[in-house]
Formats: sequence, C-alpha cells, structure tokens
Amino acid sequence: MMTRRTRSLKTHSLSALRATLPALIALGLASIVACGSAAVPQELMDARAAYANAAKGPAAELAPAQLDTAKTSLDVAQKSFDSDGPSQKTKDLAYVAERRAEIAAAEGSREKAERKRAAADKDFKSTQMEGLEKTKEQLDAERRAREAANQDVNKTKAELAAEKAARAEAEKRAAAALASLQEIAKVKEESRGVVITLSGSVLFATGKSDLLPIAKEKLDQVAKALVSQGFKAIVVQGYTDSRGSASDNQTLSLKRAQSVRDYLTTQQIPADKITAEGLGASKPVASNDSADGRAENRRVEIVVTPDKG
Amino acid sequence: MPQDSLTAAQADVKGAEVGGAADNPKAALHLKLAKDQIELAQKQIKDGDNEAAARTLDRAQADAELALSLAKEAKAQADAVDANEQVGKLRKEIAK
Repeated sequence: MMTRRTRSLKTHSLSALRATLPALIALGLASIVACGSAAVPQELMDARAAYANAAKGPAAELAPAQLDTAKTSLDVAQKSFDSDGPSQKTKDLAYVAERRAEIAAAEGSREKAERKRAAADKDFKSTQMEGLEKTKEQLDAERRAREAANQDVNKTKAELAAEKAARAEAEKRAAAALASLQEIAKVKEESRGVVITLSGSVLFATGKSDLLPIAKEKLDQVAKALVSQGFKAIVVQGYTDSRGSASDNQTLSLKRAQSVRDYLTTQQIPADKITAEGLGASKPVASNDSADGRAENRRVEIVVTPDKG
Repeated sequence: MPQDSLTAAQADVKGAEVGGAADNPKAALHLKLAKDQIELAQKQIKDGDNEAAARTLDRAQADAELALSLAKEAKAQADAVDANEQVGKLRKEIAK
C-alpha cells in the first residue's frame, strides 16, 4: 500500500514535475530575482558595485587605507541589512558605504595621477639638463669654430708676412747677384730684356771657341745670378769684329755662343730655356776702326727675358 | 549631539568648496547632495527626529568628502596631463 502510494505519488509528482518544470524554473528564477530586487535595497547594490569597482582600480595599491574604510563601511551596511532588512538605516549606511568606495577610487586615481605628474616633472628636469648640455655643446662648438677662424686669420697674416719677407729676401738676393754680376759684366736693361754683355777676350783665345778657365768662373757667377733671379728664356748671342770674312765671323760667333750656352746648361740653366745665336759682325757697339772698339765688338750678349711681365 | 555632526558636515562642505569641488561637474553634484542633506537634517532636528538627522548628516559628510576627493583627483589628472605636455614641448624645443 505504502509502496504503491509512494510509487503513485512518485509517479504523480514526477509527471507533475515534468509538466511544471519550466514553470517551476521560471518561478524559481523570478523568486530569486524578486528576492534580490525587493529585499536588497538599490543603495546596497550600488555600494557593492562601487566597492568592487574601487578594489580592482589603482586604490588597491595606492589608497589601501581608504579602500579598507570603504570595506568596513560596506560590511556595516551588509550587517544592518542582515539583521534589519531594507530599513532606512540600512539604506543610509549603504549610501555612505558607496561614497566611501568612491572616495577610495578617487584617492587611488589621484595618487596615480600625482605619480605620473612627478615622473613628468622629473623627466622635464632631465630634459632641461639635456637641453642645457646641448646648448653648452653648441656654444662650445661655436667658440671653437670662432677660435679656428681667428687662427686661420692669424695664420694667413703670418703667411703673408712670411711671403713678404721671402719676397724681400729674394729681391735682396737678386740685387746682390746683379751687383756682383756688374763687377764682371755689363748689365743693361733693354726693351728685349736684361742684356749681360761679356767681353770676348775674357772668354776665348783669339779665333777659338773653347772657353778659357777664367771664363768658366765668370759664367758660374752669371749662372748663379740667373738662377736666383729667375727668367723665362735666355738667348746667348755671339758677335765678332768686322775683320775677316763674314761667313767665318758668323761661324765663330755661333760656336762661341753655343760654348757659352752649353756651359750654362751645366750650371742649372734648363737646356730648353736657353738658345744660342751667331750674329757675326752685325750690330757693332763700337767703332771697328780702333783696337779698343774692335775689342768691345768681340763679345757675347746674354739676353734674359724676365720671368714676370 | 546632532549639532556636532551638523557642524562637522558644514565644515566638510566648506572644505570641498575651497578644494574646488564647484569647478568639477561630478564633484559639484556631490557638493549639492551634501548641502541638500544638511538642509534636510536641519529640518529633521527641528522636527525632533535626531536619529534620522544623524544618519542624514552621515550621508551629507560622505558626499562632501567625496566632492573634495573628486576635485583633488580632477586637479591631479589635469596637472599630470599638463606636466606631460610641458615635457613634450620642451623636447620639441630642444630638438630644433
């Protein structure tokens, strides 16, 4: 009987359950929801949400004291709800608890912002130092450039002075060379250049074109003067007096000029800058009627085209 | 007893105002709530409902404190943004 009844009850309740299951579930859910919204006041739900929000924000690390105060405040509200239900007191306590949670959240955010600001200030200072360093470097570079420029000016001045001194020295040397040359030869400035005239009797034996030993000494001095003074080109011209045949005179004068030219090339006068010409008895410089005049006409002229001009 | 709480709440409101709560919308809202509740508490005290007045003043105080915290937070945030901008400007100036 019992068993049957139980079974029938079971069967009944099972089928009933099966039939009413969706309704039961719906009812159950509704009752839970209804219980939640009706029983727990909005203030307490807000307080819980505010606390959960604060706890997962920066307050947990940066405002722990305020967060703890908020937790205590929430617990007090919860206890009030547990004992009194959704009373005005519970609502007031929950209201305060929500503010405490929001205060904790705000303090955490504030602390975070202040740290950010402190970091930025530090960054600002170091950037300033960086800029200062850079400016200093720029100024240093500018100063160095200025000093280098001054040095260049000084160097240029020194170079100019040295050049001037060298030029003066060269002029002095040239003048000295010219003076020493004037002791052994006639030196004249003509339109065709500087003409150094050497007496034939000093350079050659009569009728010969080989240089006498004394001639070499004189030509050494001439060469020295020419090298020190500088020149563009040199023409060695040989002349004779009017005695003898013109062709003989021409040949002799050329040979003598060539002897002088060849010797000068051995004394640092470049061969490509010096040529020889035989002009015989042409262009006498004195009368061929007297012995002295003829002696003057027997000569070698070294025509120097100056380097400059 | 409620008189002390009233004075304390009024002082907190003053503090929030000095702290610039009126300049920030969210802080200004809580400042207003605090003031409204002080007014309500004064009425409750007048009506002899000291217990209700004390709880209303607790609410007022919490709102006033929150108003000050929000004002301070807003200022700190603005300062942080400003400081970052200053660094950016300086960096650009130096890079020139």
